[in-house]
Amino acid sequence: MKVLELKNVHKIYNSSDIKVHAVNGITLDFEQGEFAAIVGPSGSGKTTLLNMIGGLDIPTEGEILVDNTDLSKLKSSRLIDFRMNNIGFVFQSYNLIPVLTAKENVEFIMNLQKWPKKKREKRTLELLKAVGLSDRINSRPSKLSGGQQQRVAVARALASKPKFILADEPTANLDSKSTETLIEIMEVLNKEENITFIFSTHDARVVKRAKRVITIEDGKVLTDLRN
Amino acid sequence: MRCLKYFENNYTMKNYKLAWRNLWRNRRRTMITSASVFFAVFFALIFRSIQTGSYGYMYTNAIESYSGYLQLQQEDWWDEKTIDNTFSYSETIEQLLLKDENVEATIPRVESFALASNGSTTKGVMLMGIDPDKENLLSDLNQKRVKYRITPEALEKIQGNDLFSEKSKEAAALFVGSSFTNEERLLLDLDIDIEEADAFLPLLKKYAHYDAEVIKLGEPGVWLGDKLAQFLELEKGDTIVLLGQGYHGASAAGKYKIMGLVKLPAPEMNSRVVYMPYDIAQEFYNCGNNLSSLVIHLNETDDKSVRKTKERLREPIPQHSRVVDWKEMNEIMIQQMEADNQSGILMIAILYMVIAFGVFGTVLMMTAERRREFGVLVAIGMQKKKLASIITYEMIYIGLLGIALGCLITIPLITYGTHHPIIFKGEMAYMMEDYGFEPKLVFMPVSYYFLWQAFIVGLMVFFSLIHPVRKILKLKVVTALRA
Ligand SMILES: Nc1ncnc2c1ncn2[C@@H]1O[C@H](COP(=O)(O)OP(=O)(O)OP(=O)(O)O)[C@@H](O)[C@H]1O
Ligand SMILES: [Mg+2]
Repeated sequence: MKVLELKNVHKIYNSSDIKVHAVNGITLDFEQGEFAAIVGPSGSGKTTLLNMIGGLDIPTEGEILVDNTDLSKLKSSRLIDFRMNNIGFVFQSYNLIPVLTAKENVEFIMNLQKWPKKKREKRTLELLKAVGLSDRINSRPSKLSGGQQQRVAVARALASKPKFILADEPTANLDSKSTETLIEIMEVLNKEENITFIFSTHDARVVKRAKRVITIEDGKVLTDLRN
Repeated sequence: MRCLKYFENNYTMKNYKLAWRNLWRNRRRTMITSASVFFAVFFALIFRSIQTGSYGYMYTNAIESYSGYLQLQQEDWWDEKTIDNTFSYSETIEQLLLKDENVEATIPRVESFALASNGSTTKGVMLMGIDPDKENLLSDLNQKRVKYRITPEALEKIQGNDLFSEKSKEAAALFVGSSFTNEERLLLDLDIDIEEADAFLPLLKKYAHYDAEVIKLGEPGVWLGDKLAQFLELEKGDTIVLLGQGYHGASAAGKYKIMGLVKLPAPEMNSRVVYMPYDIAQEFYNCGNNLSSLVIHLNETDDKSVRKTKERLREPIPQHSRVVDWKEMNEIMIQQMEADNQSGILMIAILYMVIAFGVFGTVLMMTAERRREFGVLVAIGMQKKKLASIITYEMIYIGLLGIALGCLITIPLITYGTHHPIIFKGEMAYMMEDYGFEPKLVFMPVSYYFLWQAFIVGLMVFFSLIHPVRKILKLKVVTALRA
């Protein structure tokens, strides 16, 4: 089942006089259950691409269909709701709301979606258990390590049962041990729950774990390999 | 329906709770912002309380030492206070006025101008012919009699007596020439503890006593305003020469013994008034049994009762006379207070402006600092309106915190102040008296002016919200995330 389709997507930045063709005609499909890494040199367009997939940025040209919905056709407040219900995000850093505990951060989206309290709490505990943080549910982000924070962010991204999770360099700020733990958790979720992950990375060890590796350069897909 | 939906979408979540927690994230900033709101509220309230309080006090003083709430006058007298514009008085007029339910008594006056002189010093004065007993109903004139006076001789004696401390001696030197109507004030200004009153009062009685003899109907004799006496260099026991324009062109002249001095809280009275029994004034002006005015003493003195009584009295009073209220008689003072009031309000406006800029700066910083966080929140699915409402809550909390703290501290303070006015002593007191003020700060009890503060702070919060709310509604997630 296709969860995401990109059709000839372009992004041109027109800052001052220089025109930057950050994404230059990318066409890609993603199936349910993929574990895909987007790699490429710095400035190749990874972040730009992920932002457009997540509906945070609008393509200059081309279509992005999430579960057959064209993101560019949604107006801004509907798009925010669409993101909430269909797309999970893990950013490189400062993902969490600093004044909420791990549990409250994970609950946050379910709260916005008005889940009943019991159901909400049950799922929150399950998710925190899945990322190995059962013992830290009442800690605020400032009391968690960078790796633990990223794991909470993964749990939160999963909370709304999204079609896929986007992660732009989720391990960039982590040491190798935390990187290992995070990627393992993502792998397990992917294998056991069939969660779709699309992430960008510079880390060769992370790339190795991916089931599909898309290499882009100058805004174009160079290779698209599955192992 | 839409409204309800909006409400659900935006407010059923725990926005207010999240906002509350956000408040304590940057504890210091919240404190500083709340504290600045608090200071604005605190100073504005205390300042207003004293300002409006002193107006009330001055009005009361003016009313009680001169105008009363209502007066019956010959119709032209107020515009031209000559003795020709007086009216013929008879008991029936009093009876007529006393019939009204709100009229408690009438107080006769023969008031006009005269020239007072002592040797070559001359001054235009306000001659007040009064009924010394009845006048006390209104002005408690007896209490305003000067009982002590620090004359140069008194000072010499005080400085010569080693019982007095150096401080007291210095204070006495400062207050040479000053008059005192009661012991408390004297002791206060001389820096003598009330506890030690028993030791010092007998001495002071000996050195500085200055009790006025009474003036009585039928007996010639005058009381002088304390400042007037100073100006004319007259003392108790001296004789004052009065010259004036008598009834229907006759000339009026007389010599009167000064029985005592009075010290009045209304400065313009204190420097120009000469009291004498009204029948003696009638003799002086040769105006038969005419009165210039009849103060109508009231039971109920609130604005509404005064207005109603004035209206009721319009009908029954004699031809060519009219009832004048205290506002007409104190027009100039009221105008002055109004002008003063305006400048007070302006000062508070400036104070609030300064504070508002401070709050605005904080909000600006907060918005800039939290841009990335806002970006993340909108990215993961928080509606901008909801985010804006959280920020709104945060600002409202800060405002409320400041107001609540301000009220919590000022209400007891002001309430205490209304029962215990601030009384100045020493140099400060001397300076204030010199300017014609009573050295005393009176507070206005807590009332509607508190609501104004809440309203202004509300407005401030509202204006400081415009920036962050606009920023949030215009937020571009991609740019915010890059911050
Ligand atoms: N808002 C913008 N305005 C102008 N140019 C931009 C903007 N955002 C990105 N670019 C440019 O687009 C190109 C792609 O940037 P992008 O951030 O997508 O690269 P990236 O692959 O994520 O790089 P990195 O690995 O360093 O994160 C770069 O040349 C960048 O300078
Ligand atoms: Mg990038």
